[in-house]
Amino acid sequence: MFWDRCRGTIRSRKGGWKIGEGVFSHGYNLLEDFVGSKSYFQVMALHATGRLVERSTADWMEAVYICMSWPDPRIWCNQIGALGGTINTSIVMATAAGLMAGDSKLYGQKPMLEGVTFIQAALKQHKAGHTASEIIEMECNKHRGKPHIMGYARPIAKGDERVEILKKYALKNNMATGDHLALANKIDQVMLEKHNEGININGYGSAILSDFGFTPQEAYYVSTLLTASGITACYLDTKERPAESFLPLRCDDIDYQGPPPRVVPEPD
Amino acid sequence: MKKHHKQVQRRDDSFAERQITNIWHEIPSPDNPYIAADCSCHGYNLFELMKKRTFVDVFFLLFNTELPTEPQKELLETLMISLINPGPRHPATRAAMNAGVGKTDKTHILPISLGILAGTHLGAAEVELSMRFIKRNVRKDPGEVADLLLSHKNTTTQGDWHPAPGFGSRFSGIDELARKIACSLLALEGSGKYLKWGNEFASFLDQHKMGWLMPGIAAAAFIDLGFNSRSAAGLFQLLSAPGLFAQGLELTNKPITAMPFLNDEDYIIEK
Repeated sequence: MFWDRCRGTIRSRKGGWKIGEGVFSHGYNLLEDFVGSKSYFQVMALHATGRLVERSTADWMEAVYICMSWPDPRIWCNQIGALGGTINTSIVMATAAGLMAGDSKLYGQKPMLEGVTFIQAALKQHKAGHTASEIIEMECNKHRGKPHIMGYARPIAKGDERVEILKKYALKNNMATGDHLALANKIDQVMLEKHNEGININGYGSAILSDFGFTPQEAYYVSTLLTASGITACYLDTKERPAESFLPLRCDDIDYQGPPPRVVPEPD
Repeated sequence: MKKHHKQVQRRDDSFAERQITNIWHEIPSPDNPYIAADCSCHGYNLFELMKKRTFVDVFFLLFNTELPTEPQKELLETLMISLINPGPRHPATRAAMNAGVGKTDKTHILPISLGILAGTHLGAAEVELSMRFIKRNVRKDPGEVADLLLSHKNTTTQGDWHPAPGFGSRFSGIDELARKIACSLLALEGSGKYLKWGNEFASFLDQHKMGWLMPGIAAAAFIDLGFNSRSAAGLFQLLSAPGLFAQGLELTNKPITAMPFLNDEDYIIEK
């Protein structure tokens, strides 16, 4: 019986610790093969995808992580960290709570799924003969004509300084422009001309991860800790100040719009 | 010669063969031992509990091993209502609201807010600390305990001060709501010596614009109800969970602009 075969035994396809022999990961000896010779981001990508990526790929991912590590508590996930600091939650709890917020439809890690899915499907359409403009139109038709395409436009601001710096990084490191990125750039141009919206870090990163050969799921997996560092900074800023002094609210700072006072009826 | 463990060896620890619990007993189905056909909580059959008792009774049973008396039940239920929502200005609630308006997965709203509620300032960790404080001091004169603690005040510190966990100021004043809730609980037959001691202790803080805080009330009531200190933090999280979730959920269908976002002019980067 399947369940009896699973009972009392752990089978791992990833690796594990054989006490006295070593720690193994995807066929490598984690400590002997990696410590001092591979970067943490290479190991993280290995654990997320099962593939040992080139150092240059891992370094690019690390650059993206830096781009997502803003110590600004106005950003929603960071604010959760700041709220944890202001009531003195542990740093691990506050950072984990903030990280969870990025499983969102709007920002953070989870939109990587949609961003990579879009550009990979778009490239198939492009190779089948559709122009960037037609691809955008088809995508907009899914959203009642609104230019809602994951990876293009962002909340709060227009334009994305993170894309600009990553373009400089790519130039400096002689990164080739793959098919996905080339199409993403075309879509960016059409979006700017037609809708005054441009590519954001999700769109740019999704295209490059696709050119690296990542699936949408793998892109999401390697993004797990994407915003952690900025959350930690926001947590520490409020933890180091008097408790509850982070954006304290007066009662009338809340706009109550519910029913007026009423008498609680007695139970029947 | 220095001694060191060059060769890693497994310790000769003896681990349990099976998981242990005194709480929940599952009776296997005769056809499939992985399927439970029946179960009991501290010996009481689940279906009998479903038929005869309230949620509050079984909640009490789960942590306290016995069903509550009527006064215990009344105290727990009243406490549960008082703790049902930390309110929209509490940092844990604001975390839930952030998650809601930010279109975070709805499955994450509660864990995020409960994680933030874990703090030692007006959070779950303060309840456990408060429980230990009250237990340690309940045989002492509350006035003397208060005098000793108040003598340690650092007058240069800004913000609120909690001379003891669960007691102190809120926004530099007495938490009026906490005081009224404590009075309501003290009027119940189930309230005992811990709530009474806490109330006397709080009265000595009154002239310093301090008093009961919600973690202190929860702590004193939990001890009167017979819950142990290890359960304090989790119980406080459980009882606060409905309000946290409701407040977060309320914003899930609102645009991201439904909550304030400070302008750069109001954001000061200090050196």
